[in-house]
Amino acid sequence: MPTSSADIIRGTADMLILKLLDVEPMHGWGIGHELQQRSRDALRIQPGALYGALHRLVREGWVRSSWQTTENGRRARYYALTRSGRRRLEIETETWHRLAGGVALILATR
Amino acid sequence: MRRVLSDVVFRIRALFDRSAKRELDEELRFHLEMDAAALRSRGLTPADAESVARRQFGSMRREAERVRDAWGVSLADEFAADVRHAMRQMRRRAGYTAIIVLTLGLGIGATVALFSVVSDLLLRPLPYAHADRIHVFWSDYDWRGEEYDFLRDRAGVFQHLAAFSTNGEPYRPNAADPDGARLLPFVVATSTLFDALGTRPLLGRPFDATEDRPGAAPVIVISYGMWREDLGADPHVIGRRIIVGNQPVTVIGVMPKGFYFATPDIRAWRPLALDPKSPSYFSGYLTLVGRTGPGVRPELVQSDIRRIARALGSRFTYPAAWDKTKHPYALPIRTYLLGDVRDPLMLLLAAATLLLGIACANAASLILARTSDRTGEMAVRSALGAGQWRLARQVLAESLVLAAGAAVLGVAIATAGFRALVAVLPLGNGFGDTVAIGWATFAAAFVLALAIALAGSAAPIRNLVRAGGGAVNRERSEEGLRRGTRRVHGAIIVSQVAFAVLLVLGATLLIRSVDNLRAVNLGFDPSGVSTFTLVTSDNMPVESQRQFLGQVLARVSALPGVRTAGLTNRLPLRDGGYQGPMGIEGRPDLDGTNRPNSLYRTVTPAYFAAMGLRVREGRGIDSSDVMGGLPVVVISESFARRMWPGQSALGKHIYSGWSGKMEALEVVGVTREARLTSMTGDVPFVMFVPLAQQAAISGGVLVVRSSTPPAALMPSVRRAIAQIDPQVAVARIETMDDVVAGALAEPLRLRFFLTVFAAIALVLGTIGVYGVVSYAVARRRAEFAIRMALGASPKRVLREVVERGLAPVIAGVAIGIVAALAVSGLLHRFLYGLGATDPVSLAAAAGALLAAGIAAALIPAARAGRTSPADALRAD
Repeated sequence: MPTSSADIIRGTADMLILKLLDVEPMHGWGIGHELQQRSRDALRIQPGALYGALHRLVREGWVRSSWQTTENGRRARYYALTRSGRRRLEIETETWHRLAGGVALILATR
Repeated sequence: MRRVLSDVVFRIRALFDRSAKRELDEELRFHLEMDAAALRSRGLTPADAESVARRQFGSMRREAERVRDAWGVSLADEFAADVRHAMRQMRRRAGYTAIIVLTLGLGIGATVALFSVVSDLLLRPLPYAHADRIHVFWSDYDWRGEEYDFLRDRAGVFQHLAAFSTNGEPYRPNAADPDGARLLPFVVATSTLFDALGTRPLLGRPFDATEDRPGAAPVIVISYGMWREDLGADPHVIGRRIIVGNQPVTVIGVMPKGFYFATPDIRAWRPLALDPKSPSYFSGYLTLVGRTGPGVRPELVQSDIRRIARALGSRFTYPAAWDKTKHPYALPIRTYLLGDVRDPLMLLLAAATLLLGIACANAASLILARTSDRTGEMAVRSALGAGQWRLARQVLAESLVLAAGAAVLGVAIATAGFRALVAVLPLGNGFGDTVAIGWATFAAAFVLALAIALAGSAAPIRNLVRAGGGAVNRERSEEGLRRGTRRVHGAIIVSQVAFAVLLVLGATLLIRSVDNLRAVNLGFDPSGVSTFTLVTSDNMPVESQRQFLGQVLARVSALPGVRTAGLTNRLPLRDGGYQGPMGIEGRPDLDGTNRPNSLYRTVTPAYFAAMGLRVREGRGIDSSDVMGGLPVVVISESFARRMWPGQSALGKHIYSGWSGKMEALEVVGVTREARLTSMTGDVPFVMFVPLAQQAAISGGVLVVRSSTPPAALMPSVRRAIAQIDPQVAVARIETMDDVVAGALAEPLRLRFFLTVFAAIALVLGTIGVYGVVSYAVARRRAEFAIRMALGASPKRVLREVVERGLAPVIAGVAIGIVAALAVSGLLHRFLYGLGATDPVSLAAAAGALLAAGIAAALIPAARAGRTSPADALRAD
């Protein structure tokens, strides 16, 4: 699978997916779409990686999935955040901010 | 823990659930459609959009599946790693591991082999349609033809009622056989039997209502085994004539494979012609079996049975001693066929399970000790947060490896030893041949192995979770693990000892019971006696029988090594029946329904000497007692004393109708009391009458006392009989010692198994106590060393260790004894001359376990007493 700079940073996919699901439950395609839209095309996730991550999050118990009908009447698997997923999101967000702050501090070094 | 659970659920689903794969496909298809729709909205033609999206789909799907499968694979990988790790651990302690696997394997082998027998015999469907609707009436082999004919029209809820009895005739499938004919055991039954059982023949048809009446052409329905073995599985066997007991009989049916009735050793079924003109119509030798209609409730069956009994009472009068109208019941056919074997089998299965429990406890104790030894490693790992689940899985993997090894060994033991086991089980009448080792065994072994693995790892895992749950520092979790280990070790010893007490007690009780049985005074002398059961054809004329039997006696008596040879109708301790009410001279109070019941034994003059029966008063039967002479009888001691108390029985008369007509028999002798029916229970009255004065003769049992060993004599006797008349079957050849042993078979066999189990249980219990005490001593070496350096005497340390080691043993013995008292009812029916709570046996069992416990604790305790201060530095 070819990688490009638009592919999201390794390790942040989980956090980003959790964050998007914190807004509202979504199906897989919707998540990929939203990610691209909200990052103004800065971030993109390959479908294989997206579904791999989603299934891993389900396995961890942070996300639950259910089959629902879209507004167009199609059956699709929707993903929603669980309580422990929300906690996880908080932890990851905090870690990310600390990490990003640290990175920024180092980059600011003269 | 919830995370662990959802993880497991997900992985298992990913591995096995095909709907997970379907759902993934559907999800990806949806994604593809959405992509295509998006492309279209950007202006691509529908066809182009489709093909672009589709190109993506292939790689997308591969990627997604790779991700998904990786979890399944990683589970298998991790498990394989755990198993490899477990195997390395086992190899490092090869000796102890071997003991565990061997003992577990033995326990599994014994348990699953017995389970196969039990499940095959007691759970497998009987070879009859809706067997739950078939019942056997009370009074087995005691119904008369006239009673059956009377009840046939009054059977109420029983749609089909049949009467049957067992019989045998000489049969000679191979005319060239120098041993002559052999016995064909068959059932004679009314034509309603096949309706009652609900089974149709494989070939041909059952006999019908025109064939079970007097004078009908003789027909026979044969078993699958007889068809295969004696008739070469002839496909055109229907209509073929075979010679059974000098008489041509037409084969009309072959029963399907696996069918048996009433016992598996029966080879054929023939019509029973009930003839009111025959004297046998009025004697009891039949069993009644009935099938109820569908949906008849058990209460209705029992109330109908009571109604049938009342109807019997309105027509027939019975002596008070065996009033058939009292206590009537209908026995489900399964209980009737297998009730006798169920109890001893269940007892043995329970004993094997106890043994397995002890072996399992040893395994758990080993795993626990090892887990506990790694407290440091575990505490560090669980403090790092990763440990618990992974460690628990390792423990589980070790248990699984142990249990799997044991299961394989157990199945090997069960398979290899299955026939030998079945041969020594208390199974009679060919039931042993109907059981086979099969999938049930392997399933049972598998289930047992899983159960053992789970049971064996439950305690260590619980300890791990407890210690790890609050693990902040290494010290605390280590201490927690050790405390938990001590507690669980104690519990393991308590249960092991309690199980062992039960087994040792069972063995002791049976040993003492068999001793009591062996001490029973038989009243005859079985050693050096061989017996031959001669079955002549029913249609052989009485004069030919008399002549044949006379020739046999003359020829056999003349054989080298033979001291004396006699004949009787029923062999002591083996053959029952032939008893009835007798009239007593001078006892008008014992008339009518009060007449005393006596065994009726026909004998030749030499029988008393051949069997070693002693005449106490008067004379035995002698050669002057012939047809036309004074009808005489020799009776047993208790019979004489009870009928004519305070006077001699000699010269008194007994009135009997057994020889064909009612006649007065003069008492000419009284024998010593002898056990002719069973080793236990009351000794029935016995009368011996001369064979020469019988109007009807049908074969007999030849009893030979010889100076040469019976085994050496048997072939020549058999050949001599075949030379006189090859049409006569020599049905059973056995020494009288074997007959006596046969009467003891059940307690002897139970004793054998329980003794072996108890011995293994003692050894395992000792190993268990030794292991746990050694472990405790090893852990406390530093403490002992310091205490002894500070002046504690070795003796004191030794005593403390033994006391600590013995505490769970004493608790186990106490619990074992309480449990033994609680389940004493199970063993009661197998014991003779002592109760299941026999104090001597209880004391012996408790003593054996305590002694084993002391011995097992002493060795490590002595080691503790020898601890030197330097050890303290080396200990962890």
